[in-house]
Amino acid sequence: MITERKPKNIFTQGPIAPSFIADSIQKHNTKTNIGGHSIFLGQVRADVIEGNTVKAIEYTAYEEMALEKMHVIREEIFAKYPLVCMHVHHSLGKIAAGEICLFVFTSSAHRKAAIEACNEIVERLKAELPIWGKEVFEDESYQWKENK
Amino acid sequence: MAVQVIVFGQLTDIMGHNPVTIDSAADTSDLIEQLNQRYPALVNKPYIIAVDKQIVTGHTTLSGNNTVALLPPFAGG
Repeated sequence: MITERKPKNIFTQGPIAPSFIADSIQKHNTKTNIGGHSIFLGQVRADVIEGNTVKAIEYTAYEEMALEKMHVIREEIFAKYPLVCMHVHHSLGKIAAGEICLFVFTSSAHRKAAIEACNEIVERLKAELPIWGKEVFEDESYQWKENK
Repeated sequence: MAVQVIVFGQLTDIMGHNPVTIDSAADTSDLIEQLNQRYPALVNKPYIIAVDKQIVTGHTTLSGNNTVALLPPFAGG
């Protein structure tokens, strides 16, 4: 069990590049105690609301509070599941429809822990992290995103 | 003692992006009452309150030099 983790920054300005995700997977090839990875990717959806299409989501956060809370979630997830590692990246700023805005990556010796932990992290961060999204439509009007 | 108020998400449409200073507020209820008078659009908006990054409920005493954040429903991911 790894001890004392420092709060990590999870925020990235702009979209998360698919090449960053690929590199992140590549970096794990030296950790041969891993037998399974689980990855969740959030992508900005072009919702159509009353004939108006979402072209981007502009994310903002109460960053200091979000990082403190994410640190608590990280510790609790590591205490609950036998993970080898966990990585969380969330975009800030304007992310166009079709781009990646969330990347959660868990790894464990056996698949079940990675899959369950990944799912729990996604659910918890949506519910507990102070992050907001402004859905900007093609005509530049906007509405505030609500998590369902 | 002055209180700094910061807001996020949809509440920035009402109070803007800069911190608002309230000269004196004994507790969070007193503070919200003052804010509601200053920003009537704030009344009945859904949000939770964090004092110095800790979520609080009920009448929370403000000891001085606190930062109070009004947090509308979270929408990350």
